[in-house]
Amino acid sequence: MKLPVIETQNVTMSFGGLTAVDRVDLVVPEQSISSIIGPNGAGKTTLFNCVSGFYVPIEGEINFFGKKIKGLPTHKICELGISRTYQNIRLFNKMTSLENVLVGQHPRMNSMWVESILRNKHYRQQESQALQYAYELLDFLGLSDLADIPAFNLPYGAQRRLEIARALASQPKLLLLDEPTAGMNQQETAEMTSLIRILRDERKMTVLLIEHDMRVVMDISDIITVLDHGQKIAEGKPAEIQSDQRVIEAYLGPGVDEITKKFNRKKTNNAKS
Amino acid sequence: MITAIKDGLRAGLITAIIFTFLILIGFTSVAANIIGDILGNPQVLNNETRLPVGNLLIFIALVGLFTGLVTLKKGSNPPWTDVLFRGLTGGILAGLIVGTVIYIVGSFHMEGVDFRAYLPNLGASQLGYLLFYSTPIAASKTYLLYFTVFSLVGALARKTLTMLTGLRNKLKSIKSQIIDWSDKKNFHSLVGNQLFQAGLIILVGIGLYFLPLVWGSYWNYIMGTVAIYILLGLGLNIIVGFSGQLVLGYVAFFATGAYTFALLTAPEPHAVGLNLWVAVGLSTLVSILTGLLLGLPILRLRGDYLAIVTLGFGEIVRILIRSDLLTPLTNGPKGVTNVGQPIWRGHVFSDVNYMHLLMLLVLAGLFIAKRLKDSRTGRAWIAIREDQTVAQATGVDTYKYKILALLLGAAFAGLSGALFASRNQFTGPEDFALMVSVNVLCIVIIGGMGSLPGIILGAFVLKGLPELLRELADYRLLAFGALLVVMMIVRPEGLWPGQNSKKGKMATFSNSLGEDNLEEKV
Ligand SMILES: Nc1ncnc2c1ncn2[C@@H]1O[C@H](COP(=O)(O)OP(=O)(O)OP(=O)(O)O)[C@@H](O)[C@H]1O
Ligand SMILES: [Mg+2]
Repeated sequence: MKLPVIETQNVTMSFGGLTAVDRVDLVVPEQSISSIIGPNGAGKTTLFNCVSGFYVPIEGEINFFGKKIKGLPTHKICELGISRTYQNIRLFNKMTSLENVLVGQHPRMNSMWVESILRNKHYRQQESQALQYAYELLDFLGLSDLADIPAFNLPYGAQRRLEIARALASQPKLLLLDEPTAGMNQQETAEMTSLIRILRDERKMTVLLIEHDMRVVMDISDIITVLDHGQKIAEGKPAEIQSDQRVIEAYLGPGVDEITKKFNRKKTNNAKS
Repeated sequence: MITAIKDGLRAGLITAIIFTFLILIGFTSVAANIIGDILGNPQVLNNETRLPVGNLLIFIALVGLFTGLVTLKKGSNPPWTDVLFRGLTGGILAGLIVGTVIYIVGSFHMEGVDFRAYLPNLGASQLGYLLFYSTPIAASKTYLLYFTVFSLVGALARKTLTMLTGLRNKLKSIKSQIIDWSDKKNFHSLVGNQLFQAGLIILVGIGLYFLPLVWGSYWNYIMGTVAIYILLGLGLNIIVGFSGQLVLGYVAFFATGAYTFALLTAPEPHAVGLNLWVAVGLSTLVSILTGLLLGLPILRLRGDYLAIVTLGFGEIVRILIRSDLLTPLTNGPKGVTNVGQPIWRGHVFSDVNYMHLLMLLVLAGLFIAKRLKDSRTGRAWIAIREDQTVAQATGVDTYKYKILALLLGAAFAGLSGALFASRNQFTGPEDFALMVSVNVLCIVIIGGMGSLPGIILGAFVLKGLPELLRELADYRLLAFGALLVVMMIVRPEGLWPGQNSKKGKMATFSNSLGEDNLEEKV
């Protein structure tokens, strides 16, 4: 059997008394789009932070293609092939779009500081390759015209896309996207959706996605995992999740069940009379 | 109209406070002296106890002009009557306040109160000068008159200026249209530009070579100090400006460099008599090792904590050098004399040789800093400065790069320390007071974090100017303060990357990168 890209076993993370992620098992198959959904505070971002190495889970294991990555520093995890974006955009604000993407390529390059002073052949080659690839990525994300603008001055949508470009720059095997369409209008959301598809279908990447927009989630996900209060309450294909009673309760509260029943009874009563 | 008067009053109040403060610290007469110097006016009249009042009046007029200038906001262009009101209200208020202060202080002075007990700068002669050697009431009237008139002139001048710039912008746009047109016709060919650049570089090179020969040893001394501070600035800039780590004890590396060089080359106290150039190399190396010693344990700290710990380190080195414990090694508070000087073509280095060497090193330093900045390494540093957590998650080994920055910065400091000791032929613990760190940090900050031309400018302003205007030297701290305040207003983001210091607190307590969630939850 093929190894999953990410496999978490029993991952638990708590802050003081609060268990933000509670014994979560997650399997992300290769070249898939997997989504994590759940109400606010469900622990989605915390799970991301565990996978990308920002937090060390207090319990459980995280495997990346079968290799244990729990406890590795974030730059090592990035080198292995996991890149991410952030729920609230975190770019290198004073650097231009181009420079942001160049920093993204850092782990793929190996020129030393002495070489950058001497500018030897190896250094020049690497720099020009990096530059070329950076322009390619900016083009891919529709940012070519904004290459020399400081990240801070970019329009919101462009900032979100630049974060993805930076994450792609290290040529990761797994891309973690934390609410990539948050704050976007309909058209931008549609573009983002097709972009994520392209990543899977053409770039052969695996995408793990946190997303609040249900239309997007149901549209593009291969597998959806639902978290609530840190626990995994459901998992499956979009159609299965849509009709899952526990998921509906988690989103709308437990009362909803009775309300629906009452509503249905009324309808039948009305129909009778 | 109301806003006009409000703006005027605000400007008047601000200048009045500044001017009163300047009076209290005795700066007014210093300024008047400088004006006298510049204009070539006599400092002392035939009557020895009296200073020329004219210089003081010019200074007051200048402050009045300033009041008028700031009554108008940047970029605004109010109508003439408005401008009139602004200038008048600002000037009258400033004049009234300053006049009142002068009147009160002057009256007490006339009754024989000695202010020197509270304010050392307000002696009888000073006060007499401030009163123009006349009565308090007459003097305060003069202040009021000068402030009002010149504030009005200032406001009107500013208005005229804005009108002129408007005109100039129009001219500019016409000119740029012409240039556009000529560009299309390929008037500026690339080759021409390169030739022009090469010519410029050669010209500047020749100028730099001949300047030390012609401008004499006094200037070589001053400019040598400036050059040493540029080198220090370039080094600290790698640490603070590029990688964003607020290291405050930078002087420690300067001191280790200077002392290593001095102890290896001076006849006393050790008589090692090492080859000079080897000693320079060793000094740099020892500074780098000191950097490693300091960096390995503390570069895991962030922001404020790093600043405080390194601040201590700078002082510890100085105290150790002069301690009884290390006196056998370092010669203690006496310092080391007869530090070695290089030989060049059979002669001991002259001031000109030192200046040439320093210029070369500054050029090399600029070259290195520039190339580092635009490379993979420099990008990694700046990414760390902008957001350390994210930089690391993007694949930058932040710890390694922070240490690299510290070591390179230390190397710059060690090298300049060796040259500093050699040029002065002396080094003592008091050369390495905290003020050196503060000076260099100011150079980096005022230059605008991470900007290389800024460092050169900063070194000239902070080390060159005070040497030239000796009378100002006592007010250097004041100038620092004023410059820092101005920087905070004009370029707050240049002062200190705020996100780092704020996030630092969280990170040091919660083990690794726990502060992330603080931001994540928006
Ligand atoms: N560093 C931290 N310290 C303390 N509590 C934290 C920390 N990080 C997360 N939490 C808490 O853990 C819970 C889960 O937070 P998390 O950010 O993972 O939720 P989320 O599912 O991403 O929610 P959202 O949809 O709002 O982004 C929340 O109650 C949050 O307050
Ligand atoms: Mg979240």
